[in-house]
Amino acid sequence: MDLISIANAVINGVVIGMLLALPALAITLVFGIARFPNAATGDYMTLGAYTTMASQLVLGGSIVAAVLAAMTATAAISLLMYFWVFRALSERSHVSRLIASIGVAFAVRSTITFFAGQDQYVIDVPLVRAWNFGGLRILPTDLYIVGAALTALFVVFFIMYLTPTGRRMRAIADSAELAAASGIRARRVMIFLWTIAGAFCGLGGALLGIKAVVLPELGWELLMPMFAGVILGGIGSPVGAVLGIVTFSIAQEVASLYVGPAYKIVLAFFILLVVLLLRPQGMLGRPIAAR
Amino acid sequence: MRQPYDLSRRGFLISGTAAATLGALQAPVLAQEKVFRLGALNSITGIGGPYGPYMLEAIKIAVNEVNEAGGAAGRKFQLFAEDDQTKPEAAVLAVKKLVEINKVEAVVGIWPSSVGLATMPITNDANVITMNTCGAPEMLTENKKGLAWMFQASNAIFGNAFAEVARQRGFKRPAVMAFNNSTFVGQANYFKNAWESGGGKVEAFVIYEPNQSSYRTELARVLATKPDVISLSAYRPDATIILKEWFQTGQDCKFIMPGWTANEDLVKALGKEATEGLISISNVAADKHEAYKRFAAAFRKVAKREPDIFAAQSYDMVITLALALEAAGPQADVAGVNGKIRSVTGVGGTRVNGFAEGRDLLRKGEKVDYEGASSRLDFGKHGETVPDFGVSDIRDGKLVLKETIPGKLPA
Repeated sequence: MDLISIANAVINGVVIGMLLALPALAITLVFGIARFPNAATGDYMTLGAYTTMASQLVLGGSIVAAVLAAMTATAAISLLMYFWVFRALSERSHVSRLIASIGVAFAVRSTITFFAGQDQYVIDVPLVRAWNFGGLRILPTDLYIVGAALTALFVVFFIMYLTPTGRRMRAIADSAELAAASGIRARRVMIFLWTIAGAFCGLGGALLGIKAVVLPELGWELLMPMFAGVILGGIGSPVGAVLGIVTFSIAQEVASLYVGPAYKIVLAFFILLVVLLLRPQGMLGRPIAAR
Repeated sequence: MRQPYDLSRRGFLISGTAAATLGALQAPVLAQEKVFRLGALNSITGIGGPYGPYMLEAIKIAVNEVNEAGGAAGRKFQLFAEDDQTKPEAAVLAVKKLVEINKVEAVVGIWPSSVGLATMPITNDANVITMNTCGAPEMLTENKKGLAWMFQASNAIFGNAFAEVARQRGFKRPAVMAFNNSTFVGQANYFKNAWESGGGKVEAFVIYEPNQSSYRTELARVLATKPDVISLSAYRPDATIILKEWFQTGQDCKFIMPGWTANEDLVKALGKEATEGLISISNVAADKHEAYKRFAAAFRKVAKREPDIFAAQSYDMVITLALALEAAGPQADVAGVNGKIRSVTGVGGTRVNGFAEGRDLLRKGEKVDYEGASSRLDFGKHGETVPDFGVSDIRDGKLVLKETIPGKLPA
């Protein structure tokens, strides 16, 4: 394989990875603070893609307005599901919340298909040619996607590490009891968490919808790679989630140059396996001792 | 540990009695009027989502047509519908339910070959007729009891037709890209065989995994060999992404695609510029047939769009079955009905375009030949249709029919 092909595959992997980093971050935050793997993440993305498409129809033209509307709508649904489902289950075991989140996933997807049907939709964005630098191809659309993802990630990391709300979030993630004992109100943090999780999934879904096509299974199909990316990066570590999913995506794309495309997911999981053998806690995860 | 729910003996007795009463209540209704229990197994969700729901609509239209005409051989069709999620695992469960619980005598509307191949052992064991749109060449060899009927051309025939068109149009460096399932891998392999047996070389042969958000790396691998034409065996969702990504690269190249993907719906998804010059190959639509015109009118009323080839095929399945049932008579069993399918579609009979017309002739003791909404429906020895192919170009967002080539089985 020549270097140009590998470089193109890496670029493609970075774009997809950055895009999936948004929902992966939502998974890892929810896991760290609400303490369960949220299986509805994929379908929140689907919701984001559909609401982008729908608001583009209603509002007309502007894609930026449509994406913002989608983020708001998804955040609202995410909050609604928190108040309706996950809050009631907060004292139960994480398994019951996981199962409930699968139920939420189905409910969201079925509601979408009830109104939109099974057929595919496309988000209306003008098709443009890639810039060609001696074989190295860069798509302007991809730049926008990466830019949007980076901005969103920057905002959330700023909040997480440089504001009081972020400090409270990290405190609850470290130990919910200690945080409660020191007077941190969990409710407000939860509302913030689910808003961020919803908005990020909405944005991720919208960007994916722009890049690919809008289908009812759009997000659900990505749940496995996203979970794998989160595990690769270290569960509960926000930076790890981003690094993990980007590594995973690059591995998939580069792998498909060498093995048949049918096996690229296998190779990506092989890399996951190797990393976990060397570092069981993931790339940036902290080792958890049994207490 | 606390029991999650109360599974007491009393509860069991109550529910058991209730179930038994229900069963007893149902029985006399069935005895009054003998129905033909028809299963519809469609790909409502999953990758078949753009096609399956319309196939089910078409089946309902046909069932209504038969029932409004008073049924076939005095038996009305009772429809049981299931979703196979375009997945063989889900399909096996669904078809078991149809066969064992609903006791259907025929299953129609099976779309992907993966489902067709997975469910055929079950339907064969239960002696149930199946009618499908599967194109995998293995369907023909697996059809051991002759109970399966393929309304869509086998991909052996499709792959050959693709290669022939590529040669006629003077392409020199073809490449192949195909969705990884039995239908499209079959199509890709037959294209390769047909091209290479004519003394050419296929530049790149890439089978891709479905359900991805980008196929850029796979596409780059194909485009790196600088092909002048790509035989792209794809469904609409993946074709939309691949063609979008191809257009963005700016590399010049033509595409030959199956007609159920390369059509006006694809133009709607991609725009006129990116679809200009696509070569679309499909069973010649039977749009000149009366059956098609009538079906399309009924379909437009429900679905608010033109029927695709799979919807037309699904409609034909039910009508064919109804005519065979009429020909076999009210006492006939499944094998008897199955035995009449060739005779109501084969050459030699009076051409008919719908159920009521065919039934009246059959009652007079005449032979009929149903000219379907999807093709002229003449079944080969393995239950396959061999339609003619129409070769169209997409010009300014519209399909323009260029030529018709006769379908033929590969040697």
